[in-house]
Amino acid sequence: MTLEIVLFVIFALVCLVSGILMVTRVNPVISALFLVVNFGSLAGLYLTLNAQFIAVAQVIIYAGAIMVFFLFVIMLINPEHEKRFLEYKPQLKIFAVAIAVLVFLQIAYIILFSKPSEGVSREVAASVKAGTIEQIGRELFTKYVLPFEAVGYLLLSAAIGALVLAKKKFK
Amino acid sequence: MIDLIYLAVFLPLLGFLINGIFGTKIKNEKVIGLIGSGAIGISFLIVVGAFFETLSLPADQRTNFVNLFTWMKVGTLDVSFAYQVDQLSLIMALVVTGVGFIIHVYSIGYMHGDKAFWRFFAYLNLFIFAMMNLIMADNFVLMFLGWEGVGLCSYLLIGFWYDKDFEKSTTSAAGLKAFVVNRIGDVGFLLAMFLIYLFFDSLKFSEVFSRAVSFDVPEHIFMLITLLLFVGATGKSAQIPLFVWLPDAMAGPTPVSALIHAATMVTAGVYMVARTSVLYAMAPTTMMIVAVIGVFTAFFAATIGLVQNDIKKVLAYSTISQLGYMFLAMGAGAFSAGIFHLMTHAFFKALLFLGAGSVIHAMHEQQNIQHYGGLKKYLPITYGTFLVAAMAISGIPPFSGFFSKDEILWFSYTNLGFVFWLIGVITAIMTAFYMFRLYFLTFDGKPRFDEKQTHPHESPKLMTVPLIVLAVLSAIGGFIGIPEIFSGAHGNVFHSWLSPIFKSANLKLSYFGAHSHFEEYLLMAISVAGALGGISAAAYIYLKRPSIAANTVERFKSIYTTLWNKYYIDEVYDATVINPIVNSSRSFLWKIFDNKIIDGLVNGLAKSISIVSSLIRKMQTGIVQSYALVMMIGILLAFFWIILSL
Amino acid sequence: MLNNIQEFYNILPLIIIGGLILVSLIIEMYSESSEKILPWLSIIGFLFVGIYSLVEVGRTSIVLQNMLATGGVVNIFWLIFNITAAIVCLLSINYIKKYGAYYGEYYIIIQTSVLGMMLMAGAKDLIVIFLGLEVMSISFYVLAGFNRNRSSANEASLKYFLLGAFATGFLVYGIALIYGKATTTSIDAISLNFSALSGNVLFLTGVLLFLIGFSFKIAAFPFHMWVPDVYQGSPTTVAGLFSTAGKAAGFSALIVTFAALFGGPHGHLFTPYLSAIAVFSMLFGSIVAIMQTDIKRMLAYSSIAHAGYMLIGLASGNIDGVAGIIFYLAAYSFMNLAAFGIVSILEGKEETNLDLDSYAGLGTRSPFIAGLFALIMFALAGIPPFAGFFGKYYVFIAAIKSDLTWLAMVGILSSMISVYFYLRLVVIMYFKSSETEDKVSYTASEIIAVVIAVVFVIILGLAPGSFIDLVTKFL
Repeated sequence: MTLEIVLFVIFALVCLVSGILMVTRVNPVISALFLVVNFGSLAGLYLTLNAQFIAVAQVIIYAGAIMVFFLFVIMLINPEHEKRFLEYKPQLKIFAVAIAVLVFLQIAYIILFSKPSEGVSREVAASVKAGTIEQIGRELFTKYVLPFEAVGYLLLSAAIGALVLAKKKFK
Repeated sequence: MIDLIYLAVFLPLLGFLINGIFGTKIKNEKVIGLIGSGAIGISFLIVVGAFFETLSLPADQRTNFVNLFTWMKVGTLDVSFAYQVDQLSLIMALVVTGVGFIIHVYSIGYMHGDKAFWRFFAYLNLFIFAMMNLIMADNFVLMFLGWEGVGLCSYLLIGFWYDKDFEKSTTSAAGLKAFVVNRIGDVGFLLAMFLIYLFFDSLKFSEVFSRAVSFDVPEHIFMLITLLLFVGATGKSAQIPLFVWLPDAMAGPTPVSALIHAATMVTAGVYMVARTSVLYAMAPTTMMIVAVIGVFTAFFAATIGLVQNDIKKVLAYSTISQLGYMFLAMGAGAFSAGIFHLMTHAFFKALLFLGAGSVIHAMHEQQNIQHYGGLKKYLPITYGTFLVAAMAISGIPPFSGFFSKDEILWFSYTNLGFVFWLIGVITAIMTAFYMFRLYFLTFDGKPRFDEKQTHPHESPKLMTVPLIVLAVLSAIGGFIGIPEIFSGAHGNVFHSWLSPIFKSANLKLSYFGAHSHFEEYLLMAISVAGALGGISAAAYIYLKRPSIAANTVERFKSIYTTLWNKYYIDEVYDATVINPIVNSSRSFLWKIFDNKIIDGLVNGLAKSISIVSSLIRKMQTGIVQSYALVMMIGILLAFFWIILSL
Repeated sequence: MLNNIQEFYNILPLIIIGGLILVSLIIEMYSESSEKILPWLSIIGFLFVGIYSLVEVGRTSIVLQNMLATGGVVNIFWLIFNITAAIVCLLSINYIKKYGAYYGEYYIIIQTSVLGMMLMAGAKDLIVIFLGLEVMSISFYVLAGFNRNRSSANEASLKYFLLGAFATGFLVYGIALIYGKATTTSIDAISLNFSALSGNVLFLTGVLLFLIGFSFKIAAFPFHMWVPDVYQGSPTTVAGLFSTAGKAAGFSALIVTFAALFGGPHGHLFTPYLSAIAVFSMLFGSIVAIMQTDIKRMLAYSSIAHAGYMLIGLASGNIDGVAGIIFYLAAYSFMNLAAFGIVSILEGKEETNLDLDSYAGLGTRSPFIAGLFALIMFALAGIPPFAGFFGKYYVFIAAIKSDLTWLAMVGILSSMISVYFYLRLVVIMYFKSSETEDKVSYTASEIIAVVIAVVFVIILGLAPGSFIDLVTKFL
């Protein structure tokens, strides 16, 4: 068992457990905290895949900026009212969980029986290089210039939308 | 101008739209009339331009296609709004727009003061649009569109005065009769179209005709196709057995009778046979059937025409009879002779109807010729032009009808045989007789109406000028088709113009047998003498000795009543076809099949669907989580499919 | 990077819309009357881009490092999106005043959604498809809930957002699986290797998930649940945009992704899935629509059914089917736009007059509008000679050619059911007497927008072949 696998198992377990806990908590503040943990473990997974830049961005932007913002918002509004929603129709919840588990099993079956690793190159050196900031920057402004610009407009439209919905004074 | 031909087709549509949509707002009759006839007038000019441009081209390049846009395209089926500008369609277009324009102008005067003046012109323009599509189309589907379109306009215009009584019922019923009878013919046309597509894999005329010659298709298929097409033609062109609608169609305004039920629409069947002449040439049996039906209809309608008293009825039967001549020509393989007669007939029959309209107008809607008499001093222009038309239809040289009718008789003699010629000549004699019976009873003799109460007066210029124009055409129109024996080296100009169209058909139909010029002169002399005899007989009976007419009626009472009642054809149809259908529809189809079975099925189905629908509606709870759940179930099933299929 | 000036001309439509968004933003910031300027600016921009796309339709090229295709079918889609958006803007001028969303940002968000659609239609890379979809979707979420003070709009927006994000998750997962096997996101590279890849279940699962993600966007059963609620809650003009351009964009992405496969040996790989959701969408949409009493919900279910008809074209997996879908989309866009346009005209303040019964007596109250609406209902029901008939005709023919006659039969059956609720509206308008005698008031811009859409419906119905010719030339 190599170190790579050990790390993967640890991060994956943390990721899974924190994810489940996040969904099942009643108090939204605790949920949000588990989400931070989840993001952190995801960053660890990225690192094991030699995606350093993404791992750093994950920590700084998601776990750092966004989640802090999230927590502020949750604490500012009164989250106690939201409890009722979770209690809605428990038998439906069991059914939903059953369905989700079935879909998960199906995907697991498909992945296990399809030999996914066939044909994928495992050149570690190349993948290390691909994950650097320099390389990402170069790709982003040459090959992926259209997606990059598109993301710009995506954020712009989201920003306009958020402003309209939140700030506009309606008659 | 050839490239602009689509304008000639679509301008009438524009006129229809303007008058149809804004007609109630315009109100001014002059403006409406100007729009209506102007659209047709410009169309006519474009067609004339296209005609001269085609004339300037070498004879083998005179078929041009104008593709407007693709209508439907699926696999090998490619139907376009495409127009075929060739010698045949141009002749037809000239007749339709030319005569159409004259009749439009006439209508401004005739329909003056009608409460639905705008509607009349809108319908007339729509009719010209449909008719132009019918004749200019380069494929069967577009032709069928026009075919149905003219049927619709015919229906609308027969019932134009929908609140007026006509004979035993209403004008609407007359329109309905025309529509229903035409539907029977249309089924034939449609079935023929299916067969053509099945065997030739195309519905474009040029492709079908070239494949008809080259493909190895058995003769009985050609026979079936052509017979079905001919069923369509008998419906539209009022031939036996589907002619019964045309006399009733006289319920419409007289210009409509002139335009649609004499000059243009009813000749569509003849045109269609001429257009598909190649197919007919491959089926000699059908040709014989066409000839027999044609000559028989000609004879049969003429006998009914002998005794009718309604001025328009006489003309209607005469139209059926003349159409019979045209089909006789088609059956004899003399396609261009048939088209020639179609053209001259359009001139003189339109003139006869418009003249009749003028008389009816002057006589305050009185249509019975027994109540006319001596009108020539009151209506001098109508009288003069009517006489020209009567001479033309009777086949008196040098009026146009003489050339065209005689040519048909000659070809029926050479290509079909003596019997056909003989029936044709007897019909011609009867035609001369009843036309001049009509003429003498109307214009000559002493007035048989109360001159103190009725003061007939000549129609306005808007109506008389069209009469004069048509009279000139009826008089000299025949000269473009002078037979070879008269013109010598020039040959028959009309025939050589049309000959490329019928070349492949004529190649298939090679008629042998030498006939001398003497025979032709002799037969011509006989038919002219016969026509003159018919006229003198009419003059003698109806001017000199009116008692003879009455005596003959007395002596041959049964024959007379049979003729008067049109051989009881309507009654026979009622008893054999219509009543059984109506009765079985009423007793079984309506009360049992429709009410019980169909309604039960539909209602039951609708009810069960409603129940299912209200059940499914409960799925729509409005709760997002359950929506997501439904999606998940969908994904689950999709995954099952992909796992199991691999 | 652009290699030459011609490439600049080819992507000019995208550049213009992108620029338009920025210019509109500046106007919105500094002008007091932006809500009066922006609709016209948007309309001019959309019309210019639409016509430009049509003029340049022959210039097919692949630009920006194999990320984007231009010309051909792509331009035809761009034309559809832009004309649709222009008509929506024209309809909105008066409507959003009535609805209570009289703000310039409304038009900016319509512009961004169109930009997203155009990216989807032109995409040559799965990443571009995804980003285009997101640009469009986020704009749609905002548009659905444009008036924050209306609880119905809030609900619609939130539902759309939650379920949309849910579906997008599957889409991205699908793309990840495809990448995992193909090691590329380039559509051309994937279709080149498709024969080799198609044996792999992981890859196929990825494609299936991709299809599922788009099944949501085109409102196909069972991913349709959001449609009635969102259409009902959103502003009517916006619902018109969702159901026309939004659906067209979803189909455009499916078509550009699978274009290389149609006509090839793998055209029928997903036929079982596609025909299953097609059958259920058609029948479900038509049957449930019968019971609706709200006109917008009825149109929503009809939209589900129409998605089913279009899916028949995809299921047949041949060029005729694709051409049929594109025709269907164009026809359906104009039909539905006209329908929603008329609904928006008749809608009262505070979302009243949306009940089917409020259309009673319209035939005598406003004969012109009733006539247009009746015509649209006939077109939607698929009665010739309107465009709706030929749309169905082409996809059914394509199905029959692929030996899927049963599918065409189900389609015909469903059309028969749908005639019931389309014509019921006509019956209500003409044969049911109303309590009010009020005439319908409308502004010139609204009625012009509806008339333009109706004219397109008639033109497409009269000359469907020309459109099909244009499309098939580039397939």
